[in-house]
Amino acid sequence: MRLGREVNMANRDTFSSYHPVINFLYFGLVIAFSMTFTHPFCLLISLVCSISYSVYLNGKRAVRFNLLYMLPLFIVSALMNPAFSHQGATILEYLPSGNPLTLESIIYGIAVAAMLVTAISWFSCYSAVMTSDKFVYLFGRIIPAMSLILSMSLRLVPKFKAQIKVVSNAQRCVGRDVSNGGIIRRMKNGITILSIMVTWALENSIETADSMKSRGYGLPGRTAFSIYRFDSRDKAAIIYLFLTGTYIFIGACLGGIRWRYYPTMKGVVFGVYPFSIFLCYFALCIMPVILNVREDMKWNALKSAA
Amino acid sequence: MKFWSKYKTKIVLAILAAVILTGAYIWGGNYSKNPGTAVTVSTVGPEASEQSPATSPTPSAAVFPITSPAATASQNSPAVSPEAKPAAAPDGSSEGVYAGSKEYSESKGMVINSETGKDKYLTDPVPEGKPLPVEPQNAVITEKKLTCTLSVRCDTILNNMKLLKKDKWKLVPKDGVIFAAKTVTFYEGESVFNVLQREMKRAKIHMEFENTPIYNSAYIEGINNLYEFDAGELSGWMYKVNGWFPNYGCSRYQLKDGDAVEWVYTCDLGRDVGGYYAVGS
Repeated sequence: MRLGREVNMANRDTFSSYHPVINFLYFGLVIAFSMTFTHPFCLLISLVCSISYSVYLNGKRAVRFNLLYMLPLFIVSALMNPAFSHQGATILEYLPSGNPLTLESIIYGIAVAAMLVTAISWFSCYSAVMTSDKFVYLFGRIIPAMSLILSMSLRLVPKFKAQIKVVSNAQRCVGRDVSNGGIIRRMKNGITILSIMVTWALENSIETADSMKSRGYGLPGRTAFSIYRFDSRDKAAIIYLFLTGTYIFIGACLGGIRWRYYPTMKGVVFGVYPFSIFLCYFALCIMPVILNVREDMKWNALKSAA
Repeated sequence: MKFWSKYKTKIVLAILAAVILTGAYIWGGNYSKNPGTAVTVSTVGPEASEQSPATSPTPSAAVFPITSPAATASQNSPAVSPEAKPAAAPDGSSEGVYAGSKEYSESKGMVINSETGKDKYLTDPVPEGKPLPVEPQNAVITEKKLTCTLSVRCDTILNNMKLLKKDKWKLVPKDGVIFAAKTVTFYEGESVFNVLQREMKRAKIHMEFENTPIYNSAYIEGINNLYEFDAGELSGWMYKVNGWFPNYGCSRYQLKDGDAVEWVYTCDLGRDVGGYYAVGS
């Protein structure tokens, strides 16, 4: 039982095994919708789905990240709005500065904070699913230079972090790490390490570019490192994404999920049509989690049968 | 042909940039509004203009003189000294604006920088017979109760409903009166801003302001959720006392007994309410 789970860990996320087009289209739709829809229900749906998917993908680390960084960020940005914006018809209290504290500004602050956390959460899922080889596979032929730059810059921070550990360990062996000596000595060592890192980063980027060029990157007829096949499962997924995405987009354009925060809060809440859009939106956002859960169930059923 | 294929991208980008800039120039901004527009007192409610947006007058519509309650109020007001008749404002300015007098302002103790011609809070000389700005930090507020009249109106928006966001249509009263003219009590030494803030709080009307240190005054951003720039980019709140639009901020205008304070919303940089200051003439 335990062994099976761990073996499965390597390629645990079913959604990642879909064609890169599906992955990219899904994140494109979901992130665009999350950043444009201000209806509270939409924000809630997107928040719940993004957090559940990030927890599914990254496990305990995502939970810790959400509680340690996302929750304070949520609270701070929710409080920020009423401190600076005093719009809104419902005056609750007067701030010490003399300006009114309004219900609308508080709710709007919460909504914006939810949107911010949702977007960050979606991007954490994106970086786990859309690896750089997938990105280069998708865009390597259309915009070769751009996709190389993008994948290199997206990889920079994790690569930099890994390299700084290597350099720091090497320096520690010769007694020149930031943990050796007095405060001035430590600072000097730190600056040396930083200088090594900057040199390394510049050199490394040139090396990468040269190496890609010498391997014929961007030339016609060149194949990608990873080869993906667009199978019937991907066909079904793309139809699903297309249908839900179009329905939601048309619904939003027709004002089916209209909502305003200022000067008074007002918008579409009840009714069959808005409900169908919310349902569709939920179905779109939750898609990878559903795929994963279904796959897990299948796996467990097969295992217990065997 | 060789030239074209070599610089294809650059030429396309240049044309694109030119098209975008031309579009932005044509559609963006309404700064070059006709300076001759004045308010036409309208009884058209927001609902009526919702149905027929054509009722809003064009800039060439007949210009009516502004008959404000302040005109009558100032006549029996002891605050205005009858002997001092302010000089007319420079060409292009509205009738609620007078030319500043440097001699008068300096004789009353205003310190004017000889280089800029303004005081240290960037205020031009005050017209003859008008009170000089009193810095709020120096104002002495006593226990003595005085009265003034206060009103808040936004009737110019009724002519510019098209410019206002639909979400805000309900905020505009049918007659444009947010706070009907009313005699209110204040304490000696208080400014226009103090009175506005207190009365808006008491009447439970929303009001937002921002302190601007370079003018040493509060700036009224919005009243009743009608903000600056809500009805076009030339719109915002202005105030007049006894029919005059002061050339300094409301925190620096110290009230006298019997003053008539009016807050009006302009959609055209003051031209439509009679408070436009022509610059450079």
